[in-house]
Amino acid sequence: MSATAAEILAPSRPSALRLLLREPAAAVSLTLVVLVVLAGALAPWLAPHDPFDTNLMAIMQPPGGEGYLLGTDGQGRDMLSRMLFGLRVTLGMGALSLVFGTVVGVAVGFAAAYYRRIDGLLMRLMDILLSFPAILFGLAIAAIVGPGIASVVIALSVATVPLMARIARSSALVVLGLDYIEAARAQGMGDARLIWKHLAPNCLSPILVFATLRFGQVILLGSALSFLGLGAQPPVAELGAMASQGRTFLFFAPHISVLPCLMIFVVVLAFNVLGDALRDALDPRLRV
Amino acid sequence: MLRHAIQRLAMAVPVMFGVLLVGFLLMQVVPTDPAIVRAGPTASAEVIDAIRRDLGLDQPLWVQFGLYLWRLAQGDLGVSIINNVPVTQELAATIGPTLELMAASLIWSIPLGIAMGTIAAYWRGSLLDRVVMAISVAGVSVPVFFLGLVLIWLVGFQWQLLPFTGRGGPLWTIEGLRAIALPAITLGGVFVGPVARMTRTAVLDVLGAEHVRTARAKGLPERLVVLRHALRNAMIPVVTLIGLQIGFLLGGAVVTETVFSWPGVGRLAVGAITSSDLPMAQGTIIVLSLGFILVNLTVDLLYGVLDPRVRAS
Repeated sequence: MSATAAEILAPSRPSALRLLLREPAAAVSLTLVVLVVLAGALAPWLAPHDPFDTNLMAIMQPPGGEGYLLGTDGQGRDMLSRMLFGLRVTLGMGALSLVFGTVVGVAVGFAAAYYRRIDGLLMRLMDILLSFPAILFGLAIAAIVGPGIASVVIALSVATVPLMARIARSSALVVLGLDYIEAARAQGMGDARLIWKHLAPNCLSPILVFATLRFGQVILLGSALSFLGLGAQPPVAELGAMASQGRTFLFFAPHISVLPCLMIFVVVLAFNVLGDALRDALDPRLRV
Repeated sequence: MLRHAIQRLAMAVPVMFGVLLVGFLLMQVVPTDPAIVRAGPTASAEVIDAIRRDLGLDQPLWVQFGLYLWRLAQGDLGVSIINNVPVTQELAATIGPTLELMAASLIWSIPLGIAMGTIAAYWRGSLLDRVVMAISVAGVSVPVFFLGLVLIWLVGFQWQLLPFTGRGGPLWTIEGLRAIALPAITLGGVFVGPVARMTRTAVLDVLGAEHVRTARAKGLPERLVVLRHALRNAMIPVVTLIGLQIGFLLGGAVVTETVFSWPGVGRLAVGAITSSDLPMAQGTIIVLSLGFILVNLTVDLLYGVLDPRVRAS
């Protein structure tokens, strides 16, 4: 077998991606995640119908019927189109919360690790945030700003910050103890540059692993809040809200509720399996 | 031990204060005037002014906060703007059912989860282990409402086996037990997975420890090695982690109550928020938060009792 120059120069350790794909469950979940994200992103082009278009001549059609692959809901709207748009909203809601939570959380974690004087104060604050369940933030913020997608995003971001801060802080502390940080400092590198150039890239893998695992939970929590009526409001298609509205028809047309539920389940499962596999591939020490 | 307890308490007090402050501010940021709400749509300006004075709404904010704390201490959380029932009265009626539901879910899911986790750890890498782990990953990925809806459709509707709306009565009656069965299976169902996972990790840790090897070396039967030496030591982290998961369970309880129309605090809170019943929303959120702080505090203290090393550190 001939080896390319890159393969000779690179250390013999197989790439994380290759390690990841060796595990069949991981390969399947990665494929699913890619498909689901594409389906959500391309929803306007993939959807066969307008997700808000009601057809009162064809309400509660079971899946497999003519013209409607996954049937219709109680108002005769195409389930497949609504599922695609619902997926888009659910994923978007989750992604926004995760990005906000991660940016703030990582900033707090790095600050705590780098400026040890404020470490105690910051982490106590994080402990307090951590001691409340996300659903309680969801209830409180929905009570203040009113139910809606924005309140779900705020609540889930707030709930993600302390978790991310802990991960970022502990990995930053390890990296900051290494020699090359000392070397960079000795060269007179400033705080901001040091953090951006040397600290952040080396803390990436634990943050990435945690973000993947967290994404599943955020989707689960976000759809639960929408299910409760505190998130996306009708007629917006969102998987949790769709599951909730379908309850009225549970006994005549269970697919209206069950299909969005199944979709949430598959998405969360894919992210959880992928997160576990990523952790194993990037950090074998954590493998149990 | 005492120092540990005092430290924990000292941390819980400002947090509780913070919760009350947030609860108070909740009423400030909302653009409805409680005096107008309480006076009703036909009241004259004088009446509204009188009510405003009566409630202390003409005072500076910090005085109002003091008054609010004072009323709170007397168990006065205001009156629902939807049905005029005192918030405390509604809360008193719903706390019991919520605790009932949580207890009924834990009572079967914790033993099952621990058994599953122990089995998976003992036969690590076997097919059994893989099945248990698959079930637990599925368990942490399934939406609570999905489980609930499937049970309602299958057990309640198709098989007509169990009721699925509301509370049937006290738990010592057959109706009460039948009514709580499906909600408890639903809520416990999402708890089995995390417990099994935590137990598996903890038991694996302990199985590799020296005292387990010693127990084996002296010829103790495997059953006793696992039950008496491995599982017992693994329980310390498991108990703590279960305690810390109570928040997760509370979130599940809010959803489960909504799915099964279970008359608990969670459903009350959701109903209050979606109908903009602010005093009720505020009361439920305060009670849920305070309850939550208390649970955390208890778990922390219990941890100290179970594991002497915590006290020292």
